[in-house]
Amino acid sequence: MSHASIAQTTAQATAQTTLASPIPMTTTDLELCQIAKCYGQQQVLHDINLSVKAGEFVAIMGPSGCGKTTLLNIIAGLEGISTGAVRLRGQDITRLPVNQRNTPMVWQHFALFPHLTVRQNIAFGLTLGKHRQREIAPKVQTMAGLMHLEELLDRRISQLSGGQKQRVAIARALITEPPILLLDEPMSALDPHLRVRMQGELKRLQQTLGIAFIYVTHNQNEAFSMADRIVVMNQGRIEQVGTPAEIYTQPATHFVAEFVGNNNLFDGTVIEVNATTVTVQCPQGKIYAHSEQNHAPGDRVTAVVPADRLRLTPQPVPAQNIIQASLRGCEFMGSQVIYWLETATGYEVKVMRQEAFSDSLALPINAELYLSWETEDTMLLGERG
Amino acid sequence: MTRQHQSWFRHSLAASGWVYLALGYGLLMLPILTLVIFSFETSRFPTLPWTGWTWDWYRQLLSDGKLLQALRASLLVSPLAAGIATILGFFAAYALNRFEFPGKKVLTILLIVPILVPPLILGVAFLGLLSRINLQGHLHSILLCHVVILIPTAIALITLRLMQMPKAIEQAAWNLGATEWQALWRVVLPWSIPGIAGAFLLAFTFSFDEFVIAWFVSGFEPTLPVSIYNFLGSNLSPALNAVGTIVFLMSVLLLIGVELLLLPMLLAQPTKSEP
Repeated sequence: MSHASIAQTTAQATAQTTLASPIPMTTTDLELCQIAKCYGQQQVLHDINLSVKAGEFVAIMGPSGCGKTTLLNIIAGLEGISTGAVRLRGQDITRLPVNQRNTPMVWQHFALFPHLTVRQNIAFGLTLGKHRQREIAPKVQTMAGLMHLEELLDRRISQLSGGQKQRVAIARALITEPPILLLDEPMSALDPHLRVRMQGELKRLQQTLGIAFIYVTHNQNEAFSMADRIVVMNQGRIEQVGTPAEIYTQPATHFVAEFVGNNNLFDGTVIEVNATTVTVQCPQGKIYAHSEQNHAPGDRVTAVVPADRLRLTPQPVPAQNIIQASLRGCEFMGSQVIYWLETATGYEVKVMRQEAFSDSLALPINAELYLSWETEDTMLLGERG
Repeated sequence: MTRQHQSWFRHSLAASGWVYLALGYGLLMLPILTLVIFSFETSRFPTLPWTGWTWDWYRQLLSDGKLLQALRASLLVSPLAAGIATILGFFAAYALNRFEFPGKKVLTILLIVPILVPPLILGVAFLGLLSRINLQGHLHSILLCHVVILIPTAIALITLRLMQMPKAIEQAAWNLGATEWQALWRVVLPWSIPGIAGAFLLAFTFSFDEFVIAWFVSGFEPTLPVSIYNFLGSNLSPALNAVGTIVFLMSVLLLIGVELLLLPMLLAQPTKSEP
């Protein structure tokens, strides 16, 4: 091994350790305190409170126009706020200009510099200040190694594929060893098959680096497969913050229950309360639900039943909840089948089952079927806000 | 009609199209071709029959101090005026593209107005203004006037290029630690190069050919078009054909440069910036 390559390997090794040193999970990396944002008369963000722990992968999810990208721009300093504070590792950065924050971002369309090579793009953040040329080269090399870009360093941006561009964008953002990485729908410009692979790579990368990732998306699959915690936003407000399991099994609001998409919502009135079992009269029939909260007869509530908790049978079976409905269609997604049914009152119900392909074909369209599920699988939400 | 008839008809239609095209280009090019050919003709008068080839008129031109001095003046004024107009145009275009401010529409319209005013009126106006402030009659008078009339074109061309730049690219530079100036210098400027170079070449060509305003304000230090006009008034010499050939050659080279730089830019789709 030549002298030069030994030196390079050592440099790589040290750089790797500095990149990969995880910070204890207890420290808070990013804190958003009571942030509000107005454009003239229009308020686009209301009372946003969020703290992100070091090394945490947080996904901000919501429909377009919910303010999630605005929030990301606020963290980066690209947009100002009307009231509130942004703290990064304890330091108040609310008034700090964008270029002094070290909160790099991965853009939706990557925003790579088209006139520079891959190497120059990655090095960009180091070439602006006091870094010396001979410090920069090994860092770029290490980063290229981490992102599997060694072969591409001298390419022009226009010669790269979508996946390669994304890796360059991530490498460019991470070169200054930031405490946090912001990602704005980074998968939306990729092919679907590449998207799934990149989800795994991104999660692994985040765990290797041990820094917080804040990931904005409108895609549930991405949020659920990568995030430690999910923030669901709607109309400029945070609807719920929780682990993917919490968001999935205990939606806090109607919006979350509907947005997460695999729930059936039945509106009704409480007619009887017996310990934790609540009886709800819905147009579709009586529904028995489990609730720890205090409900009284006469309360308007919504029963939430996840689509994968519903059983589908041709004959009535003994179960606490049972509704008759006719099959309107089915969709095959790998080993999973989604059935669409319609109740006698015209209400659409979604059922998700793990089933063998041939079993599902046995059911004819418009077949009269029975939907059944357990009381424990039924959650209750208060009246719609 | 039989198939043979049809194909004959199609061929003759295509052929007549080519003839028409050739005639059009021929008529356009004929005066220039005549000019170039007769700049090498031995006879003093541009008439046939052809009497022989000669470099004499080019030699005479080189020995005539006035025209050469005017050429030198033009080669000083035009790149300078084009350069200043392009630099000012770049900053104006950047500001108009990036910022929203009250009165932006009015300002944009005001910037376009000089293009709409006939050069003759501009020339008189410039002369009136410059003579009041004692700046008339020199090379710098032409320079000032040319800068003023070249700026709108420069702004328009550079704005066109800047509009194609995704806003995220500049934001990415700030986000990675660049100051406003660093981002401008290292990201926005490289992006704008095709627009800047195109604007410079177009401005150069325009200034190099511009006669009316230069005639009004130049006084005793004329640029080449003014000098040619003066020369025409005093005598008719084939040396003019030689000047014309040289000027034509320079213009062609410049215009090829302009086309190479501007065409891809004009044909490109403007990218919508992210909200």
